[in-house]
Amino acid sequence: MLTEEVIKKVLAAAAGNGATAELFVEDRRSTALRMDDSRVEDVASGVDIGAGVRVVSGDRASYAYTNVLTLEALLDTARAARAGLGRGGEQAAVDLRRAGSPVKHPVRLPPENIGADDKAAALRAADDAARATGAEVRQVVASYSDVRQKILIASSDGLLAEDDRTRVRFAVQVVAARDGDIATGFDAPGHSGGYELLEKFPAAEVGSKAAAKAVRMLEARPSPAGQFPVVLAPGSGGVLIHEACGHGLEADALVKHASVYADRRGERFGSDSVTIVDDGADLGAWGSVGVDDEGTPAQRTVLFDRGVLVGHLSDLRSARQIGHPPTGNGRRQSYAYLPIVRMTNTYLLPGPDDPDAILESVERGVYAATFAGGEVNPATGNFVFGMAEAYMIENGAITHPIKGATLIGNGPEVLGAIDAVAADFDRKEGVCGKDGQAAPVTNGMSTVLLARMTVGGTEA
Amino acid sequence: MSDDLLDLALGIAGRASGSEAVESFVTHERDFQVKVYEGEVESLTSAEPRGAGVRVVSKANVGFAFTTDLSDDGITALVKAARDNATHATPDEAVALAEPSDEPPAQITGLFDDAQPSVLPEDKVAFAVALEGATRAADTRIRNVEEAVYSDSISHVAIANSAGLAGSYKRSDAWCYSVAIAEEDGDTQIGFEFDLARGITSLDPGTVGLRAAERGLGVLGARKIPSARMPVVFDPYTAGQFLGVLGSALTGEAVQKGRSLFAGRIGEEVATSNLALVDDGRAEGAPGSAPWDAEGVPTQRTEVIKDGVLRSFLYDIVSARHEGRRSTGNAARSGFKSAPGPSPSNLALDPTGESREEVLRRAGRALLVQDFHGVHSGANSVTGDFSVGATGHLLENGEPTQAVKEVTIAAPMLDILRGIEAVAGDRRWLPFGGSFGGATTLIANMTVAGG
Repeated sequence: MLTEEVIKKVLAAAAGNGATAELFVEDRRSTALRMDDSRVEDVASGVDIGAGVRVVSGDRASYAYTNVLTLEALLDTARAARAGLGRGGEQAAVDLRRAGSPVKHPVRLPPENIGADDKAAALRAADDAARATGAEVRQVVASYSDVRQKILIASSDGLLAEDDRTRVRFAVQVVAARDGDIATGFDAPGHSGGYELLEKFPAAEVGSKAAAKAVRMLEARPSPAGQFPVVLAPGSGGVLIHEACGHGLEADALVKHASVYADRRGERFGSDSVTIVDDGADLGAWGSVGVDDEGTPAQRTVLFDRGVLVGHLSDLRSARQIGHPPTGNGRRQSYAYLPIVRMTNTYLLPGPDDPDAILESVERGVYAATFAGGEVNPATGNFVFGMAEAYMIENGAITHPIKGATLIGNGPEVLGAIDAVAADFDRKEGVCGKDGQAAPVTNGMSTVLLARMTVGGTEA
Repeated sequence: MSDDLLDLALGIAGRASGSEAVESFVTHERDFQVKVYEGEVESLTSAEPRGAGVRVVSKANVGFAFTTDLSDDGITALVKAARDNATHATPDEAVALAEPSDEPPAQITGLFDDAQPSVLPEDKVAFAVALEGATRAADTRIRNVEEAVYSDSISHVAIANSAGLAGSYKRSDAWCYSVAIAEEDGDTQIGFEFDLARGITSLDPGTVGLRAAERGLGVLGARKIPSARMPVVFDPYTAGQFLGVLGSALTGEAVQKGRSLFAGRIGEEVATSNLALVDDGRAEGAPGSAPWDAEGVPTQRTEVIKDGVLRSFLYDIVSARHEGRRSTGNAARSGFKSAPGPSPSNLALDPTGESREEVLRRAGRALLVQDFHGVHSGANSVTGDFSVGATGHLLENGEPTQAVKEVTIAAPMLDILRGIEAVAGDRRWLPFGGSFGGATTLIANMTVAGG
């Protein structure tokens, strides 16, 4: 992307006098197609190239970036970053050592080799399949996107790392209507890899899955409100772990004591069935990387080991502050952002229980099949999640779908409420927002029983 | 005055060949942000991002591409990519670029603070330090300030198309926010406050810091309340968020595609008879104001709801042409990397003539909602379902008596709109992808689920 000679000159212009410098270079090519109302409405492609220079002194950082990658513009950027900190710029020479080979996530069918006609045909297949599900299907929006992001990270400490990431995602959203009732269904598989995603998740299957959800939810009755046992479906329930536990274990929050988990390492939060990891090296997973956006190799970090808090997630800065090695969780949306601590693929590992037995154990409760998303206050651990697809459980069996249900609670509370974990592990892909930055993340879990939770609904 | 950016935009639009039409949208910004922690700069970012987005319309097909590579080769590749993309789109006879108007739209005032470009970085750092200090100093129960941020941007925007449309403008924006962590007796609460203006001199770090602290302190000791139906008051902040949800259902596109709870309701009474909802793309000082929209169509004032009756939706060119009408100047882009699409500009309820104090008094026993939780999942502008978490205060005779947390408030959105009894005069603009004017708003009745 840049010659080592240019990289060294830029770093030397930025670092020195007690400050270290890092250069982040990114070349991102993207394609996106969207079908709406059975019509290909948006066909877009982008070239996004930029570079940023970060100058760090102690806990302080100054950052500048540019879209112009000439030596002159990069040196200006280095000087701007240095000026923000009021130091740096006297580094004599920089040696660069290329880091060992990062985790490679295989790309069998590079998306740039697949014609837009094929991608449009996949949208058509998803649309047809969704509409074939039933006359109730009124709206179908199918979208395809691929991104190839090449990055280079070099630092005045001598690090030189590169990553070449390809991600593909296929999403279908369906609106169904009957007798004035409206319901929606959504499915959106994605991975770190190539166009082979659509072999694993054929477009038509994604379309019919989303449509079936929407049609099923037409039967939904208003959700009751109150305290209930809650069964989380495999996959989607993982967002609860992401929001209620993951964010609170990002070391930037721990350092600032803005987390309910601060200073509680070693404490038991749940039963032996609760083991939670963040695994950025999980081969081909949507949230995976080779190296993170600071050049730290992707790794698997255990957060809770059989119920006990044992780990956290960090980038370089928070790792230094907390006195542990970095965990490879320094991520940035693009060259336009400073890296911050982010999750990658966060999983509640499977347990020994039988999913059917879990359902049968519930006399009256809620089965949360798909969450619509959620948010959490890391300082308090309080969260709220909407349920896009949920059902009542009565006398050990799923009875009817419910709408307008939310799950309200607190991170440590939910860990303590995990009564059973089944073996039917599944993943769900998503996009996590933090400090105005978006990052691809995966959530994973099996069928899980929460003993008692607050469910919000419209029936008081 | 020379305008390099407009020249660049014109140069790109001039690459149209044959019968195709080409539109270019080019931006060049100077951005600055400083984040302070414990009286020291935690991070500081400065940048000059720039780039171009191009639409090519060929017959009835449109394709989009963007690039940050503004070299001659980069632009050649850009136009070619947009042209190729157009061949894969389904034809739509309504697709069109803006026609140059007979008269250029009047430039609007209040977009640029002339003092802003010469503000020194050290003064911006001092502002953020003062913001953090004011938050921390507000009360001994403020245990920490998670973030104190000052940010600004000077943007130069140019648009041109091969039909002869050309225009450019500059705007300045400055904003700040503070996140206070309040703690007492083992309870922790977060207080968030922000402000935005055209320049730093219109922002007051002391007020924003104090308000952030107060919002956290006020909900210390919060607890659930028993489930009930009761009047609910939205604070300006939550009222703005609610309008944000409504706004996505008020575009002509959402309605045409059956993706709006308002579909088929033009002429229907959707709110109390004294209620007016207005979108004004030229509102002075509002964040969503511009002389023309993201397609170059002059902005305007559109009465969406008047006297409680739904009067109009908000249109960009293509959605307007589908109905044989004119764009209301509501095309928006999130930057050069996105194609335009319809969106509210500055959407707000007209005040009903009461002060916040009067509205609170009228509410009597009610839940005052300071923060929503889970709006993006609990609010659905297609089905009209609205069920979100809430933090706030229980009001008795209009006075806060008990801080409340971990409750859900729910009602169909149309019922909320029809239940609005008063909108106070304390409007503030909230930039939630479009800008929304929130004011203290009384809703007659909602389900509050506690436990």
